[in-house]
Amino acid sequence: MSAEQRKRKGPLVSVLISTYNRPAYLAEALESIFAQTWPYFQVVLVRDGGKPVGEVVDRFEDERLIFIDRDKNRGLPYSFNEALEKARGEYICYLGDDDKFYPHHIERLLAAMESQDRCGVVYSDLYKAHCRVMPDGRRIVLAKNVEISRDFDRMVMLQFNHVLHVSVMHRKELLERAGGYNEDLNVLIDWDLNRKLCFYSDFLHVPEVTGEYYGPVGECDRISVQRRKDVHEYLRNVLTIRSTRPPKPWNCVKDLSILILSDGADEKPEQTLRDLWSHTFYPSQIYVALRKGQSAGRRFSTPNVTEVPVDSKEPARQVDQMLAVCEGDYAALIPAGLPVDQDEMAWLERSLFPLLNTSEPNLAFELADASDLHWGGVFRKGELLAARRKRPDCSVRRSVELAGIRMRKPRFEEYPFQFDHLLAGAEQVQLAGDWPRAAEIYEYMENHYGNELWMRLRRAYCLYRSGRYAAALEAIEPVNRIRPTVSSLQIAGRILAKMKDAGRAIGFYRQADAILEGHVKSVKRTHQRTKVMAAPAAGGRVSSQQESRLWM
Amino acid sequence: MDVVREIQNPDQGWMQRYEVVQELGDCFASVGEYENARRCYEKAAWLEPDEAGPYVGTGVIELQQGRVEDAEVAFRVALRLDAGSSRAHAGLAMIAQQTGRHREAFEAYLKSLELDSNNLTALLGLFQVSCQMGTFSQVIHYLKVYLQMHPGDCSVMFCLAALYAREGQDGPAVEILRDILSLEPEHTDARNLLEEMEHKAAHVNQE
Repeated sequence: MSAEQRKRKGPLVSVLISTYNRPAYLAEALESIFAQTWPYFQVVLVRDGGKPVGEVVDRFEDERLIFIDRDKNRGLPYSFNEALEKARGEYICYLGDDDKFYPHHIERLLAAMESQDRCGVVYSDLYKAHCRVMPDGRRIVLAKNVEISRDFDRMVMLQFNHVLHVSVMHRKELLERAGGYNEDLNVLIDWDLNRKLCFYSDFLHVPEVTGEYYGPVGECDRISVQRRKDVHEYLRNVLTIRSTRPPKPWNCVKDLSILILSDGADEKPEQTLRDLWSHTFYPSQIYVALRKGQSAGRRFSTPNVTEVPVDSKEPARQVDQMLAVCEGDYAALIPAGLPVDQDEMAWLERSLFPLLNTSEPNLAFELADASDLHWGGVFRKGELLAARRKRPDCSVRRSVELAGIRMRKPRFEEYPFQFDHLLAGAEQVQLAGDWPRAAEIYEYMENHYGNELWMRLRRAYCLYRSGRYAAALEAIEPVNRIRPTVSSLQIAGRILAKMKDAGRAIGFYRQADAILEGHVKSVKRTHQRTKVMAAPAAGGRVSSQQESRLWM
Repeated sequence: MDVVREIQNPDQGWMQRYEVVQELGDCFASVGEYENARRCYEKAAWLEPDEAGPYVGTGVIELQQGRVEDAEVAFRVALRLDAGSSRAHAGLAMIAQQTGRHREAFEAYLKSLELDSNNLTALLGLFQVSCQMGTFSQVIHYLKVYLQMHPGDCSVMFCLAALYAREGQDGPAVEILRDILSLEPEHTDARNLLEEMEHKAAHVNQE
């Protein structure tokens, strides 16, 4: 697209859809695209085998629609890569063949994208429309829930997905840099996409519902859900995604080199690799020290492993030889055979995370399970290298001390996923029926961990359940002003009914009913330039990346 | 309003549309918009045909419009769908009370309160019918149970105080009346009854 065209019409957006055996629902999905308030888009539709959809496509006589009609089923990643080749848009977004955009979806995301320079990925919220499917295929909507509305958190994204595929709009060039979709995957491809994109860009959360995806009550016919039932295959996909290192340079993720020291026993490095594989997720390249003779013909079964021939059993010498070849910004030293807490999913990250989140120089964190016998830690590679160059004659620990690098174990409050720990705690408190205490926890989370609307909704609900109706009403009011959902409107209705104000309750219930009936009204906003602050390299507070802050 | 099966968190579950329509119907009913309420209950019954709530709601609006027979049919349908519906039992009790079948009303209110001791309609109905029948021991029990859950509910506290007074248990009656007046100093009925009892006590002492 030329600069002149862009100036005249605005940016072009490509919407990619892959369809397989759902001609009836596809028509609705396409209708929702052609009803967009933003007119300058193209649709690239791929029939990935299955039932013919020619009749459906013929109904849309629109030159903006490109149809790739293929008989052979080759899977979603292949289809999206095929569609990407035809996409001319500066921005890309996606729609499931049984999902729907609301009319303002593209306009809203585009406004968020164009209002700032920092984030090349923006995403909104979606309703999960729980449906009862009738024998003739009609879907009766039973509930519309915003099940995921989480501010972007890179550490969470690296561990698992928290952004829905249909809610995303991204710069096309970001996905091209990342190498497109991985065709070896058959499930969780949305996480693979988002995870790769987060190496290059921050994400901006637009906490507004701009579409819906379908969730049948009872047995789900979604291919992605069916495939998750094959546990072995599912794990293969998870581990493939977690070990993917997209092409460098990475703007937003610091690389980690894990140096595994060997004392000569053959089985210990293998066990340590398996433990790392199962109990860490941060992108890394692993370097295993192998003494002469050990490495001949050796093949480790996990990816991203580099064997480093070393000429000594001395840990310090091994570290020096591995530091000479590794490329990461950070280095973790792990003695082979170090026992790993089998219940911990972020084993190494507990020591890495606090280091990523501080600019304090000459600081390093010991591994939480380290002891004098099995000592290790996470360092800034440059600081460790300097310490070793200064005193190559000392042990690693001593040279670090002499270089003035302070080492300590991380404290619990420095571990990653504090928000998730608190959330789980609040839910336990709710289960115990202590609603006032749960409301306090949600208020604390709202003030310290972002996700304001989500936490405020939870708080209002807890206040309502604890009988504090006036406080509950005060809490839910801004949610209904900024981003009303069926749930938030229903909570307001219930509070007012309890307060014997049925007249006002009726107004909220009617709004909720209208959404459930499919009458969508977008909230009109005046768009302004968004100031988006830099997100930490891998986590930390992210509330600055939610647009709602501007409206509160 | 019906106590719907409230879930652990908002944005969970798939009964939401039913709940919204049912609760909207209850609000319409409480402001006297019976036709709107009826439409809501019909839609709720269509969404969840096995739920008793819409039939209870229909029974309530029929009763409020004086259509006792239609109300009874609706409450009985609700009970067929959910034999444990406290509100349906309370509805049938109200019908029995209105038609002078006090014993039947008394039993149905008791059943309703066994299922949900929090049901204020049943509790106040039981209080009324107990007064009509002159039997108070069971209603005192349920009033006390209710007050354990709602300690500051002055209307129920007053009922209990009045029953104690009527039973000749002046000590507990005076204590509750004083509690009411500390919570609601303008509670005229409580003030009048307390004055009456204090006057009576003074008169007894004089004698």
